[in-house]
Amino acid sequence: MRKSRKYKILRAIMLSIYLIAAIIPIYWIILTSFKVPSELYAYPIIYFPKVLTLSNYSYLFSFAHFSIYFKNSLLLSAISSIISTLLSIFSGYALARYSFKLKGFVIGLLFFSQMIPAYLLMVPQYSMFSNLGLINSLTALGILYVNIAAAFSTIMARGFFVRIPRSLEEAAMIDGCSRIGALFRITVPLAMPGIAAIFSFSFINDWNELFTAALFLNSDDRYTIPVALYSFISKAGIQWGVLSAGLVVALIPTIIIFAFMQKFIISGLTQGALKE
Amino acid sequence: MVRLLERRVLHVRRGAKSAPLFIFWMILPVILIVSIFTFYPTINGIILSFENYSVFNFANIHFVGLKNFKKILVDPLFWTALWNTLWWIVLSVAFQFVLGFGLALLMREPFKGRGIYAGFVFYPWALSGFAIGILWSWLLNGQFGFINDILVKLRIVSQSINFLSDPSWAFFSVILVNVWYGIPFFAIMLLAALQSIPEELYESAQIDGAGTFSRFFHVTVPYVSSTIFATLLLRVIWVMNFPDVIYGMTRGGPGGTTNILATYMINIVYYKNDYSLASAVGVFIITILMVYSIFYLQFTSKHGSGEF
Repeated sequence: MRKSRKYKILRAIMLSIYLIAAIIPIYWIILTSFKVPSELYAYPIIYFPKVLTLSNYSYLFSFAHFSIYFKNSLLLSAISSIISTLLSIFSGYALARYSFKLKGFVIGLLFFSQMIPAYLLMVPQYSMFSNLGLINSLTALGILYVNIAAAFSTIMARGFFVRIPRSLEEAAMIDGCSRIGALFRITVPLAMPGIAAIFSFSFINDWNELFTAALFLNSDDRYTIPVALYSFISKAGIQWGVLSAGLVVALIPTIIIFAFMQKFIISGLTQGALKE
Repeated sequence: MVRLLERRVLHVRRGAKSAPLFIFWMILPVILIVSIFTFYPTINGIILSFENYSVFNFANIHFVGLKNFKKILVDPLFWTALWNTLWWIVLSVAFQFVLGFGLALLMREPFKGRGIYAGFVFYPWALSGFAIGILWSWLLNGQFGFINDILVKLRIVSQSINFLSDPSWAFFSVILVNVWYGIPFFAIMLLAALQSIPEELYESAQIDGAGTFSRFFHVTVPYVSSTIFATLLLRVIWVMNFPDVIYGMTRGGPGGTTNILATYMINIVYYKNDYSLASAVGVFIITILMVYSIFYLQFTSKHGSGEF
């Protein structure tokens, strides 16, 4: 379709409005995180600070133990999402390749589990884990994160595996490959974009999860970043400089993942699976 | 040699059809995990809602009948939260959709730097709703907020607005932020659908003398309608269960004016520590979800919107 000049100018204006609306909040929080208190709480508002400081960040990592929270969050999210992705490769593959009696039931069960939002489960999960003495444990939280991701990742993985022709695996198995060997040597590499999307989804969700973590973790050294941010705003008198620095640190990993995986994430999102 | 190969082929072919043990071990971990940590707690939660399990009462937990449900139904905060949930869903999803669809239409034809542009407008999708909430409460701050400053400078308002502490503005503010957060989702989904429309459809519509509007309503909308319905219907569930933004901004305050059912329930868990009461709210939410899902499933099976 050929479009007039007028249309193109109008489109450029509209696109710019969207762009500005999307980046101003993040720009503003980054700017805030580098401001000194005198310029942070100044009226009229200072748009171009004369002094930039790293003191908010150094406070965050020295006094506020943010390095511990960052490590907790990173380990928890990375390990949980690797495990859930691996498990979903197995189950998604079996559901894509084989037909068996209870297959429809299993898929229905997985879909149904998606209907129950995580925050509704946190109380019974809490009572369950407190009976086992597993409160304030990152391992317990990790198990719950694997649980949150497992069903959804399986549904997605199945969708990707269905698209890969089975003849390739059969050829490999005729050449003497085992079933698992064929899966990991042939199918998984071909489905890599989809698996990358599954991993990214789980990682981002785990990294961002607040409600279960805030209920389960009750000592400072176990906090994840969202819980730490939550405790920041619970305290009387928010220090916006430090909080902004905390937000920037919290957002960096997801932005990096999104930047690198954008192509996979978008195709993963649109190929029949939605962010939970 | 050929014999051996033949036998292998046969073995592989047969194996593909029946490998019960293999299938069992492949699926077992996920089924176990989901059963133990999703389904069992769901049933447990329903049982809890008929008991008196709270932080003050770990020792003497027993059945209390419908007491928790009665307690909720006479709580004015619950009714506020229920109405708010409805408005929260309708307004958030409507504006997310309209603005997201607009963005998708604008991005549909290639332009220089579209990939990078997409990164910059789509990134909020990946961020934490809770962090977004905190971030925006700084932008909407009554004293040092960026938004107030701009509004005053442009003479739209004469005085700063206390967006989050003024009850008449607070609910509007959380919805505004939720809309901002949800635009990328609809834009991503609809952009993909738009790009799958074959160009010939537009060409033939043009030959028939269809104008821009006519082409939009007779070619574009019908072609992507199944994506539109599927995303809208699913988004309703998702938004209903999305307390994160509100929790980052107001936690349901001031005075419960920004509570939705989800935040109402979480507040009972965190501040009242009355787990059975919270579970009763949970049962209420699950019931709404179930009724909605039945309608949803009937709708999608009729319209066949594929895997969505």
